[in-house]
Amino acid sequence: MALLDLKGVVKDYPLGQTVVHALRGLDLAIEKGEIVAIMGPSGSGKSTLMHVLGALDTPTDGTASLEGHNLEELGEDELVTLRGKKVGFVFQTFNLIQSLTAQQNVELPMIFLGVRKKARAERARLLLEKVGLGERLEHRPNELSGGERQRVAIARALANNPEIILADEPTGNLDSETGATILDLLKKLSLDEGKTMILITHDPDAAAIAGRIIRLRDGRVVQEVRNA
Amino acid sequence: MLSEFFRLAAQSILHRKLRSLLAVLGVLIGIAAVVGLISIGLSLEGMMKGEVSKVFGADTFVIMDKDTFSRGHSSGAKQYALDLPTLENVEGVKTVAAIRQRTAFVQGSAGADGKLTQGFFPVMGLSPQFLTEFKAFTPDTKLEPGGRNIAEGDLAVAVLSDELAKRLNVAVGDSILVAGEKSNEIKASVIGILAPSDAKQSQGFSGGMGATTTDTIYIPNAAMGQLWPEGNDFLVTAVRILPGYKVDDVADRAEAALKAEGSQVAAITSSDITSFIDKILSSVSVFLAGLAAISLVVGGVGVMNTMFTSVLERTKDIGVMKAVGAKNRHVLAIFLIESGLIGVLGGVIGILAGLGLSAGACFAINTFANMPGGVTFPFVASPVLILATLVSSFAVGALSGLWPARRGARMPVVDALRYE
Ligand SMILES: Nc1ncnc2c1ncn2[C@@H]1O[C@H](COP(=O)(O)OP(=O)(O)O)[C@@H](O)[C@H]1O
Ligand SMILES: [Mg+2]
Repeated sequence: MALLDLKGVVKDYPLGQTVVHALRGLDLAIEKGEIVAIMGPSGSGKSTLMHVLGALDTPTDGTASLEGHNLEELGEDELVTLRGKKVGFVFQTFNLIQSLTAQQNVELPMIFLGVRKKARAERARLLLEKVGLGERLEHRPNELSGGERQRVAIARALANNPEIILADEPTGNLDSETGATILDLLKKLSLDEGKTMILITHDPDAAAIAGRIIRLRDGRVVQEVRNA
Repeated sequence: MLSEFFRLAAQSILHRKLRSLLAVLGVLIGIAAVVGLISIGLSLEGMMKGEVSKVFGADTFVIMDKDTFSRGHSSGAKQYALDLPTLENVEGVKTVAAIRQRTAFVQGSAGADGKLTQGFFPVMGLSPQFLTEFKAFTPDTKLEPGGRNIAEGDLAVAVLSDELAKRLNVAVGDSILVAGEKSNEIKASVIGILAPSDAKQSQGFSGGMGATTTDTIYIPNAAMGQLWPEGNDFLVTAVRILPGYKVDDVADRAEAALKAEGSQVAAITSSDITSFIDKILSSVSVFLAGLAAISLVVGGVGVMNTMFTSVLERTKDIGVMKAVGAKNRHVLAIFLIESGLIGVLGGVIGILAGLGLSAGACFAINTFANMPGGVTFPFVASPVLILATLVSSFAVGALSGLWPARRGARMPVVDALRYE
């Protein structure tokens, strides 16, 4: 069974009197250890797809399952715990908490899972070292550059040692040079640690690190390419 | 996990210093007003009860006209009739001391022109026990050197102010003639003259019960009984009880015995006065509590406003926290703790400010107001008040934060993440 399995997934958003069809019947299976790039024009449903894949949202129709758990059958709290353990998110706008230091931001996912203080601090330091920020533990987000912030976000995504990393346009707010180093880092991490990674991107360079590229348009898969 | 939530909340408060400060300030002002006002009220109560206990022990009660006490004696004490032996024979009574007052025709010595000085003056009959056993009832009186005060066994003696002594042209050792009803009269020898400052400030012995002036002539109560045998001119009577009796029991018996003879009197114990004070202060307390409630609500609205802004501003943070594993109740707890902390912070500083306010007020009154009779306002820091205020400041904070926090906690994670 695939790690992530979507079957006939439909996602509708009510918008005033009308309905926005963000996903219009989508089948997708992602195996453990894969790196998949999802591309497509703005508004094609990439982020919506990521939300469903990451157990942040449930489909309007069809089924989505993560490691064999059907999302619809899980309660709110179980969903939260599942995503806390299994999925790490990296966002385009970093989404760090401004009042917390780099280390505290990385510790945050572990706090909600009840990891002890000492173990938490140790792991956060280790991860920040791994992303090259061993010297920036006490810095707050506004004292870090864009690239550094995204590294903190990557370290945070790895905090609970998740199976899956979901990155929604992680280089979208970075210059191309910094973006390239972030991509290298992501690729390296996913290879080193055998993480499954789903990378949403506009950037062909980013897509190049993926083993498979899926193109969306109007909420449907329009093309699927396997990289050699 | 809770301690982590406290840290997260505290860091969020510190991160938004100015806005947190304003919310804290709102609570602070409310709490300071509450604590300050109530503490001053407690000082007032302490002062009044302190005065009462100075005069009344657990073994003393007073007899007054029955209307005087219930109205409060702002309009002066009404005089009443009383038979002293009846009172003295009540079981449990040890000592009785009374003050009576009349207006009498008085003659002094001949003046420089050879004519006798004379006129109508208030005369106060005083049991000598008022200067010994019931000393607390009377302010310290100072006499001019060479004189003495009325003492036990005295009969035909008088004490008067220096001013009146001049007018009557008498000195210590001279005699004055005091005429009572019918043809009763006594020749009283002047044994003491009140020192000038004393005559003006304390105006004699009545302890504020009667209308005394520098014109008043003080004679022993025994002399009063000779001049006016019918005792229907009592101002106040103090009673000390024997050991082993309960003051309220003896007071009840005394009142019953006197009423049986037709005296319109009330026997008042310290507990009567204390409850009278409490009655007066309870309306003050209700007023203060109302003010307190209003200022706390105002503070609470401030916290609510801050928390709504805080939740809105951190919509994205809420999304992130939920994405990385925060349950709704975690988010709720973090925001509630944050608003509760704002409340407590305002509470702690407000309590200190309020106590400071009240201490300052007491100090100012005691130092500069020059209260008569050495009355002082004790500074009261009530532990109950402090604890109650502390708890309610947290409650105000948390309750005000409840609505905004719930809104934050229930926000769907996807909507929160998409929020710009
Ligand atoms: N909460 C929502 N309410 C209404 N419409 C939404 C909502 N979220 C997304 N959409 C719509 O769904 C479509 C897909 O959006 P999205 O998944 O964000 O696309 P992408 O990430 O590819 O730009 C868009 O038309 C968008 O406007
Ligand atoms: Mg998007």
